[in-house]
Amino acid sequence: MMQRTQLLLPLAMEATVLAQQQRGMATLKMISMRLKSVKNIQKITQSMKMVSAAKYARAERDLKAARPYGVGAQQFFEKTEIQADEKAEPKKLLIAVTSDRGLCGAVHTGVARLIRGELAQDEANTKVFCVGDKSRAILSRLYGKNILMVANEVGRLPPTFLDASKIANEVLQAGYDYTEGKIVYNRFKSVVSYQCSTLPIYSGATVEKSEKLAVYDSLDSDVVKSYLEFSLASLIFYTMKEGACSEQSSRMTAMDNASKNAGEMIDKLTLTFNRTRQAVITRELIEIISGAAALT
Amino acid sequence: MKIWRDAGLTYIQYSNIAARVVREALRAELRADAAKRDISHVQFTPWVNGKPKPRKKQESDS
Repeated sequence: MMQRTQLLLPLAMEATVLAQQQRGMATLKMISMRLKSVKNIQKITQSMKMVSAAKYARAERDLKAARPYGVGAQQFFEKTEIQADEKAEPKKLLIAVTSDRGLCGAVHTGVARLIRGELAQDEANTKVFCVGDKSRAILSRLYGKNILMVANEVGRLPPTFLDASKIANEVLQAGYDYTEGKIVYNRFKSVVSYQCSTLPIYSGATVEKSEKLAVYDSLDSDVVKSYLEFSLASLIFYTMKEGACSEQSSRMTAMDNASKNAGEMIDKLTLTFNRTRQAVITRELIEIISGAAALT
Repeated sequence: MKIWRDAGLTYIQYSNIAARVVREALRAELRADAAKRDISHVQFTPWVNGKPKPRKKQESDS
């Protein structure tokens, strides 16, 4: 009988400890473990912030150099005032410029949301070319059938023109003859803000139908075709640079917020830790004093 | 003039090949810097009916 109670005692104690925890009375050890893990998380987010700050500085420098590519290529479409053919059946192509990497706020979700809006309007005649795994992950759930191709391994290193031209090449050779299209990307405005925007792209046939094409001298279809291929590559290059810059700046903000939140949590946990320690000390003192009082 | 077009290249591929040749013609000290702009890791997976379709390995030059 005696032995059995001895066996049961630790079990009973464990049960009470468990019950206490369930009531929200965490033990000292658990709080200190939690505190340690939150401190580690803060360390990680802080270093991620530092890394993305360095990457952001580089991305912004690159972006300044890449802007003329985008502006120049856009000028052509503006000057010729190309309009998509309303009568013919439109075949749209959306190029989602995101990256493989997460933990950067709403950068990728913004792009995906804009594309979802476009797809909701005209699902049958629209295809999506996903640059970066993140847009694919978001879009494949609902609109998997509309995805034409996925390009990944984007975003670990700053985008190069070779990356962009490979993507443009795949767009052209994917076997999908689009009449008009849009590049959806994040336009970098400042360190704290970016805007999800679109750039139009058109196929050679649509461009040649344009009436204002005569503003350019001596164009034959060969030149137009070559130019459109190159302009697609430069537009993709430009949007990738914009996207990369917005992503890094957004990650910087996100990681800053995460470290701040972790700091708050650490403060709160330290407070509860100290309170609980105090409570334990007080309880032990009471036990000793009342034990001594019982003896005398 | 348009031999490369007849060979089945797009302008992008044509200009990239030209760019590579120019980079290789640079002096050694400048070439190292230019070579960094000649790197690309992007991979492509075509999707058919909402499923990724595996494809043979990408040819390295484009």
